[in-house]
Amino acid sequence: MDLSFLSVLLPMLFEGLKVTIYIAVVGILLGFLVGSLAGFGLIAKNKVARTIAEVYIWIIRATPLIVQALYVYYVVPKMTGLDMSSNTAGIIVITFNSGAFIAEIVRGALTGIDPGQREAGLSLGLTPGQTMRHIIIPQAFRSMLPALFNQFIISVKDTALLSVIVVNEITHQIESYASITFKTIEAYTTGAVFYLVLISILIIAQKMIERRLKK
Amino acid sequence: MKLLEVKHLAKSFGDLEVLKDIHLKVDKGEVITIIGPSGSGKSTLLRCINQLETPTSGEIIYKNQNMLEKGADIRKFREEVGMVFQKFNLFPMKTVLDNVTLAPVLTKHKSKAEAREYAMELLKKVGLESKADAKPAMLSGGQQQRVAIARALAMDPEVLLFDEPTSALDPELVGEVLNVMKDLAKEGMTMIVVTHEMAFARDVSDRVIFMADGYIVEEGSPEQIFGNPQEERTKAFLARFLGDEEQKNTTPAVNAVPGMMVGTVVR
Repeated sequence: MDLSFLSVLLPMLFEGLKVTIYIAVVGILLGFLVGSLAGFGLIAKNKVARTIAEVYIWIIRATPLIVQALYVYYVVPKMTGLDMSSNTAGIIVITFNSGAFIAEIVRGALTGIDPGQREAGLSLGLTPGQTMRHIIIPQAFRSMLPALFNQFIISVKDTALLSVIVVNEITHQIESYASITFKTIEAYTTGAVFYLVLISILIIAQKMIERRLKK
Repeated sequence: MKLLEVKHLAKSFGDLEVLKDIHLKVDKGEVITIIGPSGSGKSTLLRCINQLETPTSGEIIYKNQNMLEKGADIRKFREEVGMVFQKFNLFPMKTVLDNVTLAPVLTKHKSKAEAREYAMELLKKVGLESKADAKPAMLSGGQQQRVAIARALAMDPEVLLFDEPTSALDPELVGEVLNVMKDLAKEGMTMIVVTHEMAFARDVSDRVIFMADGYIVEEGSPEQIFGNPQEERTKAFLARFLGDEEQKNTTPAVNAVPGMMVGTVVR
């Protein structure tokens, strides 16, 4: 079998890998901020905050990611007059998409903490804010780490869909190579294996984190 | 002067009236135990005092101020009225020492060093200075509860509320916690203790309150309540309880209750 095509394709895939990781990491970090806000919104007593969070999550969950990407990249600039690069659009999409799922993770983690912890904090004279910050959040954060990392893996795979808005991530590189060389089988097979290895590494990392947390 | 006074306190959860017109006066240095069957409202009363539950109506007067008034500083009040929980509620990610120092550092603005020094003193008092760096999960239930007591003491409270502090413990661990509580009582700590430990109620408290169905049915000195209870409900409860204790072990608790022997219980 002639593997010489790899000398061109592999460097392209690694170029794509940089973009994929960049967008997924920045997107999940911002998504964690958005998701935390929305997660607190979900359990807020304030009805307005709760409604905003619920509507946001509903819109994200009820539309396909690819439609969200097309909307952000093609429609939003037309409506606002703001120009944005496809990378910026990609980060926005991953941020708000992962944020909606992270909101549920945050909500679950916060409500999963034994109410006695809050009571203990309050009974010692801590304010509700101090109780949240020093007692509830550290425990909640620890308990949601596995789910957050899982969302990160999902977001890494989701970046593949950003090829429709010409983000130069892995899938876009595969498509470029295939359309130029017509080596369809080689391009997509190598690309699929590339993803398989990448995600497997992340899954192994996830298992290691979980094992550490159990200690 | 009364340190703490509860007047006309009522609490409902939806249609369920858990507390009905409760009156309670607490002097400084007094040790009060609240006994009664499960579901009688004992724990709810305690939780209403420091407002972990919001009472439906009534007054809680502490140092001449009604804590249920609008604008009352509940947070400050809680600093002065500590609580020990049935399930300890220690902070699992923090060491024993950090459990004890957290609140003083945050609310009293003590320096870390100062808070640590005091915390070590308190841990010594409850016999756990060697466990200062351990995490709560590494301790037995009795040890955890003693840490929880040290944690509450670190705030230098005026009053300590104990919500069934030994009910979640294995029988052989109950004694170590009760001993710490007895020491506190001797030192003059004002304590309100919800408990099923009748021997503790009899031997340590200044006053015993018997609750049933959301009411204070009877209250008096331990001698009165255990020796000469007036109300039928009190008699029935004590007979059953002391009967159980008699069966379980040979604690001569019944001896303190003449005329109310195990034989009177229909089983």
